[in-house]
Amino acid sequence: MSVKVESHEKFENIYWAVFKDTGERKLATKNLAPGHTVYGERLIKYEGEEYRLWDPYRSKLAAAILKGIKVIPIRTGDRILYLGAATGSTSSHCSDIVGSNGMVFCVEFSPRVLRELVGVAEHRRNMIPLLEDARFPWKYRMLVPQVDVIYQDVAQPEQAKILADNAEFFLKPNGWALLAIKARSVDVTAEPSEVYKKEIETLEKRNFEIKDVVHLEPFDKAHAFLVMQYKP
Amino acid sequence: MKKIHLVETILGIMAVDDQGNVIEKELFEKNSEEVAEKIYKLQQGEIIPELQQIAQKVKNVEEIVVEDESLAKALREMYQAKITVEKPSPIAQQIRAQIPDLAQKYNYAKSLQEYIQLTHQIATYLTRRKIRTAAEKRDQLIAQAIETIDDIDKTLNLFASRIREWYGLHFPELNKLIDEHRTYIRLVKELGLRKNYTRENLQKTGFPPERVKELEESAKTSMGANIAEEDIEPLQKFASITLKLYQLRKELEEYIDESMKETAPNIRGLVGSLLGARLISLAGSLEELARMPASTIQVLGAEKALFRALRTGARPPKHGVLFQYPAIHGSPRWQRGKIARAVAGKLAIAARIDAFSGEYMADELKAELEKRIEEIKKKYPKPPKRKKPEKVKKIKIRKKKKEKRKKKGK
Ligand SMILES: C[S@@+](CC[C@H](N)C(=O)[O-])C[C@H]1O[C@@H](n2cnc3c(N)ncnc32)[C@H](O)[C@@H]1O
Repeated sequence: MSVKVESHEKFENIYWAVFKDTGERKLATKNLAPGHTVYGERLIKYEGEEYRLWDPYRSKLAAAILKGIKVIPIRTGDRILYLGAATGSTSSHCSDIVGSNGMVFCVEFSPRVLRELVGVAEHRRNMIPLLEDARFPWKYRMLVPQVDVIYQDVAQPEQAKILADNAEFFLKPNGWALLAIKARSVDVTAEPSEVYKKEIETLEKRNFEIKDVVHLEPFDKAHAFLVMQYKP
Repeated sequence: MKKIHLVETILGIMAVDDQGNVIEKELFEKNSEEVAEKIYKLQQGEIIPELQQIAQKVKNVEEIVVEDESLAKALREMYQAKITVEKPSPIAQQIRAQIPDLAQKYNYAKSLQEYIQLTHQIATYLTRRKIRTAAEKRDQLIAQAIETIDDIDKTLNLFASRIREWYGLHFPELNKLIDEHRTYIRLVKELGLRKNYTRENLQKTGFPPERVKELEESAKTSMGANIAEEDIEPLQKFASITLKLYQLRKELEEYIDESMKETAPNIRGLVGSLLGARLISLAGSLEELARMPASTIQVLGAEKALFRALRTGARPPKHGVLFQYPAIHGSPRWQRGKIARAVAGKLAIAARIDAFSGEYMADELKAELEKRIEEIKKKYPKPPKRKKPEKVKKIKIRKKKKEKRKKKGK
């Protein structure tokens, strides 16, 4: 099967794998750890480089891109604080995007899932596994320097507070935040919930400017994805 | 009047003035494992030597600012200065913005790449250590859960006998018809009096047609006493609670399986989570199991027989709780000891990996074990000729771990 890989029209280090016979276009990133997959995603060779297909059903960031989010503020060499990294599906794509001079600090508090991420990070030195609770940023203050971006996807109440507390510790002024947040019940036609509105209020009060919001259906029915800039 | 901010970083500890100038620093030695250990201690709110040294270096300080209460508490016990907590401290923020540059400025790392690599190594050590600690503690919970299952089993047997005896006054024939306790108890709870053993009701409880007929028939012709509705009710309540106990047992099994996935994935992969949990509980902890030689693991749970053998010179036991492993109890008697030895050998390896490093290798271990069992089966297809019991060698035995643990807890 022949595949062509082309750069995403807007976002740095993000690619389209174009399948010639079907015309399908799938998101991909350049594999920083050639030969290794993270969650069973497909590897593709093109002009001497290896790419990993990026599954929007497994990664909310990929879903947000497919849903047309306007800004993806992740660039070569960036340092990212990733809260709720789980086994590393999305954070490994972030690791591809920032490249070997960037860093992805992967905070996760379940030892069982983080154990897998430690295995993934063995082949990716720019992924830094941290068994920590994102609600207590001061606990990892000695390990994490100032960062360019915070990415947060923790299934937790008070997500806005967690993000803002971490931003106060680590996010540079005018840095960016990406947040997957529970927006609706499973019923997609319902109004955004009260909780969601409250969270947005908190974010604005704590110096985040919301630049764009997309809903992730059909890839994920419960979440909205926010991109914000930090203006303390 | 001097105020300093203590900033703990991956490079070491810095004392910073109000303008953000580093006035003193104590850099860590460049050994990732040691740095990880120091950061671990700091996270627990412990005072490490670097912190003491730096506090001695800066003289005439009236106020020290830190970012963590537990650390502030520890410092308050040692210093006269006022200790305050700022979460976060803007001065520390300034330092955090410069860490990758400071690493190079202080010759801690020669390049950005080296800084990244050091951070990666330190964080990985720290994380592995924490994952291990999490697993260590979890093993005690697993031991409690499996012992609870044993308690529940005893209770269930007791309750089942009681229910059979009690219900037997009314419907004695049912005792022989239904062997399985749980099914019997369900009938008591759902149907109660004999008159409710109608075809319709019985079909609802899911019996096949032949059984339905048999049960209906014997209820009709039963020689048991007639009792009143109000006399069956307390028994039905008892039956209902007993069934809940079965449900609890099942949930505990699932809980143990989940926990074993995290704590002892290799033991679980090799012998299953319940048997694995029993071994951990008998050994006292995962770590103690990991320190045992295979020969001890082989007879765990057979301590009584082992003592008897030592006292009387009878043959020592060939297996303890490992007997539950299917390839042992499912094999002919004369093969069991050899298979038990092979299983124990692999278990010792699995326990060590689970306790000390954590990578998953169970599938490999299992394949090797199965191969070994095949060989044993081929090599010893027939029972050996009987010979006189050989003299038993003296075996060193350690005190039963479980008892020791229980005593300590008292
Ligand atoms: C939906 S999953 C994240 C999936 C991941 N972002 C990805 O796309 O690959 C949420 C994760 O957040 C973790 N989590 C929940 N609360 C947390 C907390 N307070 N601190 C750190 N991690 C947390 C959970 O253990 C879980 O693994």
